Amino acid sequence: MESLKDQANDRGQRLGDLMAAAQDGDAAAYATLLAELLPLLRVAVRRQRSFLQAADIEDIVQETLISLHAVRATYDPTRPFLPWAAAILRHRMADGARKYARRAANEVAVEFLPETFDGDAANMLGESYGDPEALRQGMARLPEGQRQAIEMLKLKEMSLKEASAASGQSVGALKVAVHRGVKALRALMGDRS
Amino acid sequence: MTGPADDLIRRLAADAAPVRRLPPPLRRMLWWALLCAPYVAVTVWIMPPLPDLADKLTRMQFAMQQGAALLTAIAAAYAAFVAVVPGRARWPLLLPLLPLAVWLGSLGKGCLDEWRLGLTAWYLDLECLPKIVYIGLLPAIVMVIMLQRGAPLWPRASMLLGGLAAAALGNFGLRLFHPHDASLMVLVWQVGSVALLTLIAGWAGPRLLSWQAKGVSP
Repeated sequence: MESLKDQANDRGQRLGDLMAAAQDGDAAAYATLLAELLPLLRVAVRRQRSFLQAADIEDIVQETLISLHAVRATYDPTRPFLPWAAAILRHRMADGARKYARRAANEVAVEFLPETFDGDAANMLGESYGDPEALRQGMARLPEGQRQAIEMLKLKEMSLKEASAASGQSVGALKVAVHRGVKALRALMGDRS
Repeated sequence: MTGPADDLIRRLAADAAPVRRLPPPLRRMLWWALLCAPYVAVTVWIMPPLPDLADKLTRMQFAMQQGAALLTAIAAAYAAFVAVVPGRARWPLLLPLLPLAVWLGSLGKGCLDEWRLGLTAWYLDLECLPKIVYIGLLPAIVMVIMLQRGAPLWPRASMLLGGLAAAALGNFGLRLFHPHDASLMVLVWQVGSVALLTLIAGWAGPRLLSWQAKGVSP
């Protein structure tokens, strides 16, 4: 009975002969070679990249066929064919992995994009301020210094320098006032909710 | 046959024009050397060669360093041609390390001997780099053209080796007409230039040798 090694050698020899004929311009031999190689490449990629999806495996297989075609002049018919094809496959798989990593690093995967009118995610901005009346009442209950600091720095979006000039308070005092004011406001609005 | 892969096979088979097979790396290396040797000989002759060259060549250290530089160039060229053939063993890629080690070792020994005798010379010699580029230019261009016929499996390594071959050949030629040959000067300015040019070639590798240039997606 013929051993597996002999079978592989016979197959390699046959594919090598087909490639030699293809290098001489025999289109039929080339089509036969590529058709016989296709399932071998699929199995090899699936075995070594089992985590990839079918479409990605197919991409690598087709890239390998195109690469093999592009460098078919480098095949030496006196040398074994399968190591030659395997080396091209290995390099294309490595290139594919790099491409996959680049794509994964720059891509944000989303199932669907929220629609402007219906989706909750699309309406976050409109609702994030909560109850404006509660905010107004909370502000009214803050001490004068804190309320003034929040009005200038948060509502009017003045810079610390501008707010300091307008109120006559130091930058440090304004920072402390706005920090305490926001904390107090949170507590007041938390109580209401 | 109906799938996209089968369509691709049909298209590739229809495009199966006869191709000229790439000769084995050893034969390509010989072709490269044969093409470059007359150029190096002519550039050295134009410069012209050192008046005491015949005497220098009889000196063991000079002959060994020149022999090692030439062997580095030849081994690196062979390794570069091996690197662009799929399915070849990878050990030949390390072949240039042997003559390179002899070359650097001999220069290192020369530095030590000069230091012991108090003959260490040190000055700025910026002429080496442009002269090595001048002599190595044609070998480098021929190398790139020949490597582009192969498969861009390891573009950086292939060009690094190709660059080393051209630069080492450039340095071999340079020492036949450049009068400054104190070991430290040769090690720093000449071998330094060779190293710099080799690194630049390696950096340019992916730009010069790519699947994209062969009509395949990168």
